[in-house]
Amino acid sequence: MAIKAKGCQDLVTEVIETRLCALCGACTGNCPYLAYHNGRVALLDNCTRTDEAQCYEYCPRTYTDMDAISRKIFGTPYGDNEIGTVKEVFMARATDAVVKKKAQYGGVVTALLSLALAEGLIDGAVLTKTSDDKTPAPFLARSVDDVLQCAGSSYMACPVLGRYNQIPKEDILKLGIVAMPCQVLSVTKMKAEPPENRVSIDNVELVIGLFCTWALSPDKFYRFLKENIDLAKVKKFDIPPPPANRFDAYTASGKTSFPLEQIRKFTMPTCAYCLDMTSEFADVSVGSVEGTEGWNTVIVRTDGGADLIEIAKKKGKLQVDKLPASNLEHIKEAALLKKKRAMNEIVKKSGDKNNLLYLGLSPRLTEKLLA
Amino acid sequence: MANIEIDAPGTSQLFIGNEAIARGALEAGIGFAAAYPGTPSSEILGSLAQVAKKIGIYAEWSINEMVAMEAAAGASFAGIRALAAMKQNGINVVSDFLANLVMSGTGKGGLVLVSCDDPSAISSSNEQDTRPIAKWLDIPLVEPGDFQEAKDMTKWLFDLAEELGTLCILRSVTRIAHARGNVKLGELPAKQHKAHFDQIHDLKNVMPTTFMPMPSSLRHFFLHMKLDKAREKFESSPFNRYAGPDKSDLLIITSGSCWLYSQDAIEALKLRDRVGILKLGTLWPLPEKFVTEHLNKSDKVLFVEEIDPFLERSVMELAGNLPPNAIRPTFYGKRSGHINAYGELNPDMVIKAISTILGLTYQPRDIQYSKKAEALVKSSVPERSMTFCAGCPHRATFWSIKNALKLDGRDGFVTGDIGCYSLALGPAGFFQVRTMHCMGGGAGVANGLGKLGQFGFDQPVIAVVGDSTFYHATIPALINGIYNQSKFILVILDNSATAMTGFQPHPGTGMTAMGEPTKVVSMEALCRSLGAHVEVCDPFDLKGTTNTLLKMMAEDGGAKVAIMRRSCELVRAKKEKTPYKVHIDAEKCIGEACGCDRLCTRIFLCPGLIWDKKAGKSRIDEVICSGCGVCADVCPQGAIIREAA
Amino acid sequence: MTKKQLTKDPLNLIITGVGGQGNVMISLIIGNAFVRDGFFVTVGETYGASQRGGPVMSHMRISKETQYSPFIPEGCADIILGMEPVETLRMLGKYGNPNVITIINPRPIYSIDVTGGHAQYPDLDKLIETVKELSSQTWLINATEEAQKMGSHMFANAILIGALIGSGVLPLDKKSVEPVLRETFPKEIETNLVAFNKGIKLVKT
Repeated sequence: MAIKAKGCQDLVTEVIETRLCALCGACTGNCPYLAYHNGRVALLDNCTRTDEAQCYEYCPRTYTDMDAISRKIFGTPYGDNEIGTVKEVFMARATDAVVKKKAQYGGVVTALLSLALAEGLIDGAVLTKTSDDKTPAPFLARSVDDVLQCAGSSYMACPVLGRYNQIPKEDILKLGIVAMPCQVLSVTKMKAEPPENRVSIDNVELVIGLFCTWALSPDKFYRFLKENIDLAKVKKFDIPPPPANRFDAYTASGKTSFPLEQIRKFTMPTCAYCLDMTSEFADVSVGSVEGTEGWNTVIVRTDGGADLIEIAKKKGKLQVDKLPASNLEHIKEAALLKKKRAMNEIVKKSGDKNNLLYLGLSPRLTEKLLA
Repeated sequence: MANIEIDAPGTSQLFIGNEAIARGALEAGIGFAAAYPGTPSSEILGSLAQVAKKIGIYAEWSINEMVAMEAAAGASFAGIRALAAMKQNGINVVSDFLANLVMSGTGKGGLVLVSCDDPSAISSSNEQDTRPIAKWLDIPLVEPGDFQEAKDMTKWLFDLAEELGTLCILRSVTRIAHARGNVKLGELPAKQHKAHFDQIHDLKNVMPTTFMPMPSSLRHFFLHMKLDKAREKFESSPFNRYAGPDKSDLLIITSGSCWLYSQDAIEALKLRDRVGILKLGTLWPLPEKFVTEHLNKSDKVLFVEEIDPFLERSVMELAGNLPPNAIRPTFYGKRSGHINAYGELNPDMVIKAISTILGLTYQPRDIQYSKKAEALVKSSVPERSMTFCAGCPHRATFWSIKNALKLDGRDGFVTGDIGCYSLALGPAGFFQVRTMHCMGGGAGVANGLGKLGQFGFDQPVIAVVGDSTFYHATIPALINGIYNQSKFILVILDNSATAMTGFQPHPGTGMTAMGEPTKVVSMEALCRSLGAHVEVCDPFDLKGTTNTLLKMMAEDGGAKVAIMRRSCELVRAKKEKTPYKVHIDAEKCIGEACGCDRLCTRIFLCPGLIWDKKAGKSRIDEVICSGCGVCADVCPQGAIIREAA
Repeated sequence: MTKKQLTKDPLNLIITGVGGQGNVMISLIIGNAFVRDGFFVTVGETYGASQRGGPVMSHMRISKETQYSPFIPEGCADIILGMEPVETLRMLGKYGNPNVITIINPRPIYSIDVTGGHAQYPDLDKLIETVKELSSQTWLINATEEAQKMGSHMFANAILIGALIGSGVLPLDKKSVEPVLRETFPKEIETNLVAFNKGIKLVKT
């Protein structure tokens, strides 16, 4: 994976200081030198390892041979489809009333996790839990109750993989992870070259990826929210699909909205360089449905994902419907647009068409995206 | 410490220089002694305090040298012989008082200040010579040449101090203060007389009151009269003597420990018949007649003295006035580069200087052996840097400070102060301390930095200070930080001792120098009463301490206080048994692999943790490990196991 | 009682080790024993900051004639009592000569320079060979090991004093030293005396 031996000092200069860091957390939790605090990853001391530096290896913003990992997971090269490898696409929502109440949209993620736990397919799941004051934090859920508490989106980046890394290495619990595309990419790199001295990557049975255009800074955006609303009263956040163009914060009494332009300045700089809108390496990817409230778009990608969906359908946990063609078109357009934008930003940042920073793409795909 | 009140006159004891001075003070009949701990002076007050109750005198650890000096002066004003002791930095602290004390006189008691210098700053922040203050402020000053003299001179100096009614200084250095030698004891005096402050004095010793005004310049004149009297006595003092031929190839003029080095050097070079030593004990005012007499013994003069060319310059001034037909010797010393003008001296340096001046070669040992020894040692002997003791709470505190500053991410830093924690300038404290000057300097400097917000300054500032240093010098700086709203965190390392100097008690420990329980001046109550936000942390709770610091750094507002409270390990070990038995689970230890890269031995650097290169694992050195168990929380793999002992 | 003679005057003894090992204790005991036997003794020592894990050395000058300075000139040590191997070698380098007699406790204490990875601790066997090469006579006394057998490494000091006395290199015997031991050790006096006697035995075997 890595072309030349690199260490954490390189991680700092190439990823953290250049603001490419996605706060995925993959470099924290099992290493005493890198730690997350308040919206950034800090280097606490020097580590002298310049080879087998797992922080560098599994970072989603260090060199990634996209074809190689795509072949490893799917057996096919990367990039033929704007929304990644697709076994099946449909729209769905949870049938359970409790789940529906807590859900952001369709509650599919919560329903799938609850099912996987109940069936013993997983023993726990690494999720994002939002505390009472609305700070998002990584959380290892062990029960359906736990999972329910993690429903809903904070829209802020959260280093969940740090929590995964903290799991003792002898641990045999089967795990699920709900992750952003950048985090899914990191997990995929781990699947391609299993880490050492950490919990086994083979324990990860299920990766649910979320659709993502950009994430907000857990430091700057959080402070902005704190200055403008009483966070203790907020029940839910939402960025409704276009053409809404706003960020909503719902309280018991009503909602406060901010125009999206005001919010955009709090997006993480790294998101401009991300090609993945639909978590292309997950088992199942889940997003909203434009124009239809209370439902999720679901993309099934792997056999593992497909099996779980089957069980869900059989047990009546999901209400499934066909996704309208126009929706699928829109998603594909949006996904392609994100790839093109990102490629342009990457080349702008590197100053050289042949330097795609962290991306190892085939020349064919590079040309296509830069056209 | 040795028992200095042994009633056995005529017997020889093995005392360190400080104990000899203390004994000399006892024989002089002092009733009052005050000091602040400072290497190499601490044992003077320490040994006096040990016997104070039995002998019926008073000895105290004062909060700082200023108060110690003033308190001793107070006793002298009331007719009680008094002694104040300090290291060279104490002279700086008391200088304002001294500048006024020489004007007022010292009353009927008799007041002696003992100042111990630390050449090479082996245990100091700076290297500084006390003696120039004698010239600067007109104070008689003497320097003992060995341990017997340390005692005899102290006793004699009190007589002089009482007779003249002015402060007298005895200067010592590490290699007298902390070295041991034979001291023949004298008689211990009878009871103390009653203390009483006379309201009327003779003209020479008039206190500056509004009812008897006297211009300072007139007092200055009287002071000069006192010094003239001292000079007269010094001309015939037995502490100044010459040994050697009537005419010599080289005359060494020396004082203090350098007298012993010079003797060693002449022995080694077998030059007893060719080189004379003029040893001076009374250095200021210089006994000019006595010195001038001996200047014609040689056309070459070598000055050997510790730190500054004090004698050298004084004698050269004298030489400027020599009559036209007198021998004008060539002067060698610090000015000529024959003796180092920095760092401490030793016999080998004097041997080298003499050899160079007289054109001699000196071979102490077989050349082949010498070459072999030096080569073998160069290739095999590793450095041994100083560190915090195993179990020291400072290691844990600086670990948390380091991590908190890194997590905070705004390039914050630490301003440091004087104590064991000064070692945090280096690897022991993870290079966290960035500035270090004098007692109280850290908080002072932080005050300035904390007001630079208007110039775009946003780096968090942490001023670290020890508990004893806090009481000594830092309270005014903290008040300034609250009053002027300067943004910094004052971290007080409360390890319940003045540790570096020998675990002396201070106002926070509830114990006096003489071993009596007393009121505790609670530092958190004090800081809170000043209006500061105060947190008290246990440094061994690494996570808690780091989080508290992070929170405090994120807050706005003026100076705040974080007290890190945990006993010095060496103090604790004397009172309690070891808390934990610590060992390393070799299976869990991943050593140099990714995810550790031997954090415990490479970065945490506790000397109780050692690296077994062959096995590729860390190990506990059970001789050094103190069983504090903190490393168990540092190991990223949980391989360090602590079990209740 | 015959007054023993010094093999030379002054006799120069170095006690060396790491801060915290107990140099000062040993030099105090030996020094006091000599003073009571009517000798001039000067001991030069490092206190203070060095005690925090740095190298420490005590220079003892013993003489019938006069008070010598607290520093032994380079190349002039007669006896070196090394409580730690690297420190012993350090002293030999500077103060050793072909006639020096060395007693060494071959138990390493690693500096943070070594554990931190910036310096190498030499191979112990090679080190001991070097010590033997640079000394006219060498005794290896496993004081720490023997002390640990007795229950605590702290008894090593008494063992080494015993070795020093038992070796005969100093004009001191058990009679001169025992009373000083009794007065000086703050606790466990009887065990320390056992350790002292053990040291005498160890050096004779």
